[in-house]
Amino acid sequence: MFRLVRTEMYKQLRRPRTWVALGFVILVPIIITIALKANPPTLTDGRGGGGGGGHDGGPRFFYLAAQSGLLVPIATLRVMSEFFLVVIFCLFAGDAIASEAGWGNLRFLLTRPIGRGRLLVAKLIVAAAYSVLATALILVSGLIAGGIAFGYHGISVPVLGISMSVSSILGNLLLAGVLAAWGIAGVAAFAFMLSTMMDNSAGAIMGAVGLYIVTSILGAIDSIGPIRYGFPTFYNGAWSNLFTGASFGGDMVRNVVAQIPYVIVFVTIGYWWFRRKDITS
Amino acid sequence: MSEAPVAVRDLSKRYGSVVAVDHLNFDVQAGQVCGLLGPNGAGKTTALRMLVGLVHPTGGETQLFGRKVRPGSPELARVGTMIEHASFVPHLNGVDNLRLYWEAGGRPLAEADMDRALAVAGLGDAIKRRVKTYSQGMRQRLGIARSLLGNPELLVFDEPTNGLDPQEMRAVRGLIRRVADEGHTVLLSSHILSEIEQVCSHAVVMDRGKLVATGTVADLVASGASAYIEVDDPVRARAQLEAMAGVERVEDESPGLVVRLAGATRPELVAALVGAGISVQTVTSRHALEEAFLGLVGEETERHIGKGA
Repeated sequence: MFRLVRTEMYKQLRRPRTWVALGFVILVPIIITIALKANPPTLTDGRGGGGGGGHDGGPRFFYLAAQSGLLVPIATLRVMSEFFLVVIFCLFAGDAIASEAGWGNLRFLLTRPIGRGRLLVAKLIVAAAYSVLATALILVSGLIAGGIAFGYHGISVPVLGISMSVSSILGNLLLAGVLAAWGIAGVAAFAFMLSTMMDNSAGAIMGAVGLYIVTSILGAIDSIGPIRYGFPTFYNGAWSNLFTGASFGGDMVRNVVAQIPYVIVFVTIGYWWFRRKDITS
Repeated sequence: MSEAPVAVRDLSKRYGSVVAVDHLNFDVQAGQVCGLLGPNGAGKTTALRMLVGLVHPTGGETQLFGRKVRPGSPELARVGTMIEHASFVPHLNGVDNLRLYWEAGGRPLAEADMDRALAVAGLGDAIKRRVKTYSQGMRQRLGIARSLLGNPELLVFDEPTNGLDPQEMRAVRGLIRRVADEGHTVLLSSHILSEIEQVCSHAVVMDRGKLVATGTVADLVASGASAYIEVDDPVRARAQLEAMAGVERVEDESPGLVVRLAGATRPELVAALVGAGISVQTVTSRHALEEAFLGLVGEETERHIGKGA
């Protein structure tokens, strides 16, 4: 299994689109930092990037980012996790099997003594690893750029009721990264499932991004009622409450739990489908 | 249970109402170079895909080295394949493609005999270029090289010269002949009759998913020996030839006659006609395997068959 995972990691690493995606997540925090440094937001105009998944009244992340470089990655993660990071996750997950099929290489890979289940697990590990890497790069790039621009220190904004030490910010930063990444897991699992069914990765990626957009729109319609709470995207931004003085719990826990059935169901269907599939591409 | 490298037992594959492979049976013994011959759509590719676990049979089974094939079967480690055109990871170079293909199987690179494979591919410095820059012929050669990694006992090639120009076809056939001479068992599908005749010792003939004939190429050719003759008086010539011993039948094929032979030789035909005062303008041997094939699967298939390249 180790060799198989290693070969799949290398294959993905050498893809130009991987470099574009990873370059993008490195670049965006730097661009945001430059923009904030050149035009420091005030308390009244710093609401960009606020708001939780389906929730109003999130913290003023851009304003906070300009107060401490430690919060630049949070502002960036908040913005990117609403769409771009979702696309990147779907790219890695939707690409897994479908791109091999599209190249015509899947039929050669599967004439090796490799069980289909093993190959699927290896592909899943690689997709997850690159998705986690993309999330980590947002945080690291934001930390470096933010630190250079605004320095590393705790913040205290009494008017917002926010006071956080350096260690508290760093701890919450790590937790926020994990929660933001996991919050996309259900949609990414859908991309992975589609990838086992299609010979074109674009179809799998677009299908999953479509699911994300539709459930996000539906989640914003209050009249739909409690059914929205079961959508994989409804609690996506709940991690931002970590930076309003809240501790881990409530909607953050609901977001973690909400992903589990989606991940299990979509990955299981993908596995079942791939095991039975005739490889004709 | 058979220990033949390839055993196909009552194999069937149905896609809805379409029967792609219909109760197919054949063996390939060690050391044979066996051609799977049939027109386009005969079910050759589907049969080969089932043989290596890519497609699930709806009936029967395939065996490799005496064991039933399932996706990922351990016996696949003893098989090198090139199913349809050779495909690769396009953004990687030739060496990386071979290396990753081999390592994915879980065995160390030292066991791959990479140098031999690269020598067979004969791509020179191009081996370090991205595969997406390769011509189809280069990909096919790299595909054959990939199938040879680890020196497998059995090689399965599906239409290996499809889409190649005549020069590339010749090179690929030469490669296959060379690896066959090294003692590999080879199962090769093709709809090009001359390819089977040039490369294979044995043949399995398929049509519409069914087995039509199996045996040595020499036997199949012998079963279909014939001659084409043009004369100045076809009516008298026909009567003369039909009366000869060793002639099975005579058919009109304007402007000449096709003589199906059952022992008589072409010089004997000419001598008989000349002796009867009939002027012989042309005598040619028909493409032997082509004749045999058409005799087996019927003339209606002729339009689907490549007559050699």
